[in-house]
Amino acid sequence: MTTTLIVNNKKYELNLKGHETLLEVLRDHLGFTGTKSACQEAECGACTVLVDGKSVLSCITLAATLDSQNITTIEGLSQGDNLHPLQEAFLEKGAVQCGFCTPGMILAAQSLLNKNLAPTEEEIKKALDGNLCRCAGYVEIVEAVKSAGQKLKNG
Amino acid sequence: MQLNPLTLHLPQTIAEADELYAKLDNIKILAGGTFLVNSLKNLKNKGLKTPDNIISLKKIPELHAISLENGILSLGAMVTLDDIINSSVIAKEFGILKTVSSQIATTPIRHMATVGGNLTCRYTWTELPTIMVALNARLHFTSNGKEEIVEAENFFKNAAKTNKILTKITIPKEENLVVSYRRATRTAAIDIPMLSVCIKTCLKNKTFADTQVTVNNGTVFCQRDNLLENFLNQKPFSPTLATEAIGQLKSPIYETKDDDYKRHMFEVSIKQALEEITGKAK
Repeated sequence: MTTTLIVNNKKYELNLKGHETLLEVLRDHLGFTGTKSACQEAECGACTVLVDGKSVLSCITLAATLDSQNITTIEGLSQGDNLHPLQEAFLEKGAVQCGFCTPGMILAAQSLLNKNLAPTEEEIKKALDGNLCRCAGYVEIVEAVKSAGQKLKNG
Repeated sequence: MQLNPLTLHLPQTIAEADELYAKLDNIKILAGGTFLVNSLKNLKNKGLKTPDNIISLKKIPELHAISLENGILSLGAMVTLDDIINSSVIAKEFGILKTVSSQIATTPIRHMATVGGNLTCRYTWTELPTIMVALNARLHFTSNGKEEIVEAENFFKNAAKTNKILTKITIPKEENLVVSYRRATRTAAIDIPMLSVCIKTCLKNKTFADTQVTVNNGTVFCQRDNLLENFLNQKPFSPTLATEAIGQLKSPIYETKDDDYKRHMFEVSIKQALEEITGKAK
């Protein structure tokens, strides 16, 4: 079926099969490999993307249901060579270890910051409760999200 | 992994969805997808047959609506848990729904999972059934252009079986209600509850009245505990009542096959719920 996906503010007219997940379409058709494929059963959060600003799991989303909705992948956050404040904060706070969970973590954090630029530690933990980090760098990740929120709030 | 090929249908109206549902064979309804898509993967992994047709309800605007009119809350079947959490109407008038929804699963799942999916997926451990039974919710189904309304309690007594499309849930606003909800998981890392309990009562002279106790033991669909309800009704609120009530957990729904921990957590959950209710009454 012909579907318009809007990924990182760019429109793609695609002929999708009904069974194709958003994860497959992003990685295999459009080359957005920052969206990671891991558990593929909605447990780990590595495949997290934003749909209309909210974190969703692309491994269990049928792509054709997202016609004309705004999808943001990790590739859509930076402006050219300028990293997004969340990406900068993850680097500054040492919140990236192996890096595999990082795109999903950052997008889950962005989903939170879209509605609250000054989240408490509890709110950050709750927003990231669907994202697993096998390196267990959670303390730095929470610090990075808090720091990015402050940066964004202060303009 | 890739899913087996299927035909995805995206109707724009309830009537269109209804027509497709009547016409097509080997079909499943797609709401938020958090149960169904994983289930399709599991079936494929086991070499079992998967549906040929999927009807997504996502593009039907009226199924996403939340409204409160004449004391009746109406939730479209495609309202997400996140919609419930962020609804000012629900926060003000049905705060317990927000409390329960906030505890379900994880944030991205709450962004995707819908009320309709949670109620009709036929997994016994899902959490909204308990609260819907406790709040006397009614489920509105459509089939061949006709609406059928089923009490949530009866729906789950019948093991949540249906061959119709759930379109909305209505919940009457009741006055002077006090509601408490408790859930327990096996470990902090597992977000599937092993049990949940909802106790609802009316405040009448600091005495339990019209009490409803709804219990989900995770392995069968939620049920009312009439024995405990009868024990509580007409009892005045007292500091010892919660402890006394624990001695009344005689319904078969608490039978847990030598699982002492689960039995203990039932007792703890009911005690805490009753203590919260009597605390609120003060």
